Amino acid sequence: MSMPQEQTTTTTTATATGRVQIEDVAITFNLPNGDTVVAVDAFDMVMEPSSFTALIGPSGCGKSTLLNAVAGFVPFSHGSIKIDQEPVTGINPDVGVVFQQYALFPWFTALGNVEFALKRLNLGKKEMRERAMEALREVGLDGRASTYPGQLSGGMKQRVALARTFASEPKVLLMDEPFGALDAQTRIAMHELLLRVWDAHRATVLFVTHDVDEALILSDRAHIMSNGPGKIIESIEIDSARPRRVDAMTEDFLKNRNHIIGLLRHPEPEM
Amino acid sequence: MSTKFKELGKVALSVTGIIVVWWAVAATGIINENFFPSPGAVWLAAVELYQDGILIGDLQVSIGRAAIGFVIGSTLGILIGLLTARTKFFAFALGPFLTLLRPIPAIALVPIAIVWFGIGEGSKYFVISYTVFLAVWLNTHHGAAHVAQTYIRAARSLGAHRTREFFEVIVPAAAPHIVVGLRLGAALAFLSLVAAELSGASEGIGFRLQDARQYIRTDRMFVGLIELGILGALLDQFFVYVGNRLVHWEQL
Repeated sequence: MSMPQEQTTTTTTATATGRVQIEDVAITFNLPNGDTVVAVDAFDMVMEPSSFTALIGPSGCGKSTLLNAVAGFVPFSHGSIKIDQEPVTGINPDVGVVFQQYALFPWFTALGNVEFALKRLNLGKKEMRERAMEALREVGLDGRASTYPGQLSGGMKQRVALARTFASEPKVLLMDEPFGALDAQTRIAMHELLLRVWDAHRATVLFVTHDVDEALILSDRAHIMSNGPGKIIESIEIDSARPRRVDAMTEDFLKNRNHIIGLLRHPEPEM
Repeated sequence: MSTKFKELGKVALSVTGIIVVWWAVAATGIINENFFPSPGAVWLAAVELYQDGILIGDLQVSIGRAAIGFVIGSTLGILIGLLTARTKFFAFALGPFLTLLRPIPAIALVPIAIVWFGIGEGSKYFVISYTVFLAVWLNTHHGAAHVAQTYIRAARSLGAHRTREFFEVIVPAAAPHIVVGLRLGAALAFLSLVAAELSGASEGIGFRLQDARQYIRTDRMFVGLIELGILGALLDQFFVYVGNRLVHWEQL
């Protein structure tokens, strides 16, 4: 009698990939003079599969450090980080990362950069090329396939980086202020593009930013972090339909915006 | 194209200017010809050396020595540089020598090279390849040891295993430094070539300089010095040209 129900549960867990569970995580750094700095402390966060989470906070609040821990780039001293129940112990190709400074390999063409990500799938040469071209087409850069990153604008570089990261079909996508170096217009175009590509691939996204508008336009849920040691002081659900536009703000949007900016100005409100 | 032409024009103008001044000073006769020859005397000495077949013969011998020494030294330099930069064992075993060997000039190695390899070609190859090796090792090590962290993080999170990370990320990231090392190594190859040829050689540009001293043929000495200057400059231009194509993403 309970059999069908159990089967349903199993199927749900098997298809629902990319659940990130962060429990009581602390990250400390040892300074050369022997001092220890607590960058992140008692951090809890759950990201449901295919959700879009934004992490907002002032510079130095530890948001990038936390992202680096999820990516496996830096070790954490306490707590646990699990992706689909698997503990994070190091760098994992199921977790894609988009860096602020693009991190494209300047010695490879745009196509070569995307193919770099596809090599781990052991495809045939022809299939790899086709999939790489498809990934570039998705970000509108199939015409620049043989261009080297040095000849691309900042926005184009980040589009190639997006194509490269999505091409390897990560379950989780970590973005560390990816559009921080771009001008306002390019940013808006990048937001639309990111949402479109994300819609097609549906990875669980963690998006680190200090830009409140950006977080409200993109995410389902925004966590606001406070300074030293970094921890979440408030979480906001954003359920208005996408696309959301800065030039056509809804009342909810403005309310959230003012609230978050207030929080960032006074991170620890007096009780 | 036109800027290149302009650059060449400037070089030609500068060289002509120097020759004119040199010639004018020599023409006044205030300096003894045997001490400081005129441009004409140097030219005649060059023609004489050419007609005797010495000029071309020396060039062939010297370039051959420099090339062999360069190939041996730079190959070893790149290999050891990558190893000391990326493996703990080699960094530990050879690291201190990166700084200990640097102050030893090539000429100081000539006596020991002659003991080890005789006065034949072996000692010359040794001195030249050692000097080239050191320059290439140093630069390769520096380049491969300081690869931007984001490149390595990106490569690993994109699923690259160690071998791919090494050949597709570390080596290309270090390539601009390796090319700089090779360029420096090529210049040093000629420097150490002369040191090696000053003793125990019977042909080559270095030998000819030493030989000219015996007869106080300053005109011949000038020919040798000019040969070295032109060879070095051409080689340097060649490395800039090839280097800019090889590591096109970085302007050398």
